[in-house]
Amino acid sequence: MSTDLKAATESAPAAPRGIRQKRDYGLVILAAPAVILLLVFAYGPMAGLVVAFQDFNVADGVFGSPWAGLENFEFFFTSGNASRILWNTLFLNILFLAATLGAGVLLALMLNEIRGRVTKRFWQSVIFVPYFVSPIVVSIFLQAFLAGPGGRGGLVNDFFNVLSLPELSWYTDPGPWPWILTVVKVWHLGGYMSVIFLAAITAVPEEVYEAGVIDGASRAQMAFRITVPLLKPTAAILLVLGIGRIFYGDFATIYAIVGDNGTLFETTDVIDTYVFRALRTQGDFGTTAAIGLFQSVVGFVLVVIATLVQRKYARETAIL
Amino acid sequence: MTANTNGAALSRPVSRRGFLAWSGGVLAAAALSACSTGSNGQSSSATHGLLLPGDVPPHWDRVRAAVNEKLEADLGFEVSPEFINWSNYASQSLLKFTAGENFQTALSARWLNIARLIEAGALHPLDDALTSGDYPNLTAMVDQAAFDANRWPDGAIYGVPAVNSAGRIHHHIARGDLIDKYAGGNIETFDQLEKFWYDVLQKEGIPGYIRNNTPFDTLGAPTGALYAQGWESPDLLPLYFSSDSVFFVPSRDAATTGSTNAVPFWEYEPYVESLHRIRKYYEDGIINADRLNADSADLKARFDSGGAASTWGITDGLDTAGHLDQLTKAVPGASLVTLLPFRDGQSAKPNQTFQADNLVVVNAAAADIDAALQLLDWVSIKENHDLLQYGEEGTDWEAAGDDGYDPIGEYANFPGYALSWRIPLERKYARMSESEESWFEWSKVYDNFTLDPYASFIPDLTEIETEHAQITAAVAEYGNPLYAGAVDVEEGLDKLKAAVDEAGLAKVQEELNRQADAYLASQ
Repeated sequence: MSTDLKAATESAPAAPRGIRQKRDYGLVILAAPAVILLLVFAYGPMAGLVVAFQDFNVADGVFGSPWAGLENFEFFFTSGNASRILWNTLFLNILFLAATLGAGVLLALMLNEIRGRVTKRFWQSVIFVPYFVSPIVVSIFLQAFLAGPGGRGGLVNDFFNVLSLPELSWYTDPGPWPWILTVVKVWHLGGYMSVIFLAAITAVPEEVYEAGVIDGASRAQMAFRITVPLLKPTAAILLVLGIGRIFYGDFATIYAIVGDNGTLFETTDVIDTYVFRALRTQGDFGTTAAIGLFQSVVGFVLVVIATLVQRKYARETAIL
Repeated sequence: MTANTNGAALSRPVSRRGFLAWSGGVLAAAALSACSTGSNGQSSSATHGLLLPGDVPPHWDRVRAAVNEKLEADLGFEVSPEFINWSNYASQSLLKFTAGENFQTALSARWLNIARLIEAGALHPLDDALTSGDYPNLTAMVDQAAFDANRWPDGAIYGVPAVNSAGRIHHHIARGDLIDKYAGGNIETFDQLEKFWYDVLQKEGIPGYIRNNTPFDTLGAPTGALYAQGWESPDLLPLYFSSDSVFFVPSRDAATTGSTNAVPFWEYEPYVESLHRIRKYYEDGIINADRLNADSADLKARFDSGGAASTWGITDGLDTAGHLDQLTKAVPGASLVTLLPFRDGQSAKPNQTFQADNLVVVNAAAADIDAALQLLDWVSIKENHDLLQYGEEGTDWEAAGDDGYDPIGEYANFPGYALSWRIPLERKYARMSESEESWFEWSKVYDNFTLDPYASFIPDLTEIETEHAQITAAVAEYGNPLYAGAVDVEEGLDKLKAAVDEAGLAKVQEELNRQADAYLASQ
């Protein structure tokens, strides 16, 4: 808090307690639905975390199922898959986060440079549309591109044939998939991110650009020396929010595309898909709740670390 | 109030406090309304959910309305079944049961996940109901011996057997017109079938066999569509804790020595040979390459539109009924043949456990278990059974003789095996192919099969739950691609072995052998 603001706050006459409380009723009522929803759907279900420490069965329920200590955590951590799945989760999410933020900034800069209002709106809409396409539909597109009907051929392989290159069996080779998924994510989220950054760009005072023009800056220099630095707070918020979800693996996209194709698990299996598959095949809520709990705790720790690092090294853009 | 004061009232700005209070009140009311049950104060009869596998039959809304009208009149409730695509049925039904969801009945079996459901206490035991005398139609239509053959090791009955033959044999449904064209009108052995597939691929450009991935195609039980050895000597039923885990092969003389000595499937040469064969089929284009991720309904549609020479079938009398109409619409003049290329023909006597592979189970978490049992009794009455299974008579079907039906509408493929199959009530499809009729009749005779030494052996998972879960995860990753032919066999097997060894295969194998030996000793 600045000194001036602090002084102003301190010098403001305090309202009598009764009046302040009465005045706040409206705010309390306005906030109530959101708080209730948060309690019911975010904090209430946390009681279910107890299942992670139980040999849960539906007949005995949450309160009657026997305790199992840390046994449920064994399933994941002694499976031999834990390190690979944790790595995949982090690696894929870092790729997604970096690629979508980068693409968002780049697209926003490009859109900002379009002078014609109609043209700008048109391209803005065009790149935003993929955000509304369901991951299931994306998976069908991808299947058509990478493997035709019956799993053979596909447009990409047809193109390879034109160039006399050998066909690739995309759906049995795990190597390219982190990059394929990243391309899909950029296609899917790039437009959405660009709209956020574009909104931030419109908030940049015109005088700053006028000063740049007076100093003889080119359009490119203004974009990279003025616009990009001023986008840092927005990028920082998106980054911290992204880090908070880094252990959640973007289940919808990955599962819709990879499904139960075991040949691709080596590079695409993340915590969410592993948990979902385990739950589907085992029907065991205890083991899956245990992994979910681990996922949440690590996600929380990462957010705290990201925020602290941000406060230490880029205090002006820190969100807390 | 004067016009002036009225105008002043309208133009007076809403105070900030008033706006906040009004907005908050509206949002709170909306939230509470969203949390309400949605009842509009009118009473209506109960509607019970059911789980059924497969796609929604054409004209289901009309048939369901007729079923519900009669149900409402007879029993005072209605049903609202949820159809779950076969690709997801096993996992979704398991999840719904273990989450305690409220529905009445579902299909389950050992090849699905009944062991897990019983262990989780998710199924309602039926013994008391069956002896109560309250459900006379059900007990009259399902033989007590059939119930007894499907008792769980704890002595309880957890499901109504919904089968219409003695033995269910995995086999091929092949295009008869293509067999006429490329195989001289007849296929009797697996070698001839394989040659037919290659000829069709070469000359028609379509795969020989199309289906989604399953270990049963590759390893057989005792026959598998792609498992050549099973057609030579169909005398092996693998042992497993669940069908998505590792299959074990018991010693061939276990019944006489009392020692099971089961080994993982890769130590049984015919199975390894089968993996190599399927890999070759995959590379040659004989089988569809998208077995790992294709949707079963999509694959059925591909076969029905003429996209493959053969697909999977089981001896339940639904080969022709399930495909012929759609196929002949897409490929005029096409026909279907039921193909079981046993070396010894109909005297092969394949091993069977005679355990029902379709059991209609009652959800322990159902809101009204008595209603579930009443429903199972209600569908055991001929008139009701026919309505549900074949649709409205005169609109959807006509009787063909005493025990046949001829579809005249589009209503088809109701999954009766998940609710209403009762041997004495089943009607035969009037246009059933000659070959299917012959094999279907054969499959109804118990003497045509050999009772497996492990006929009523049902292993118990309790002691090895964690290891089993980890092995299942390893099989999903490394085993399924092998069954699909999608990876090199040696490399894939090495990865699978390493993964299941680390997951505790030795302990699981030892536990299976211990339980199987105890079972043999008790016989």
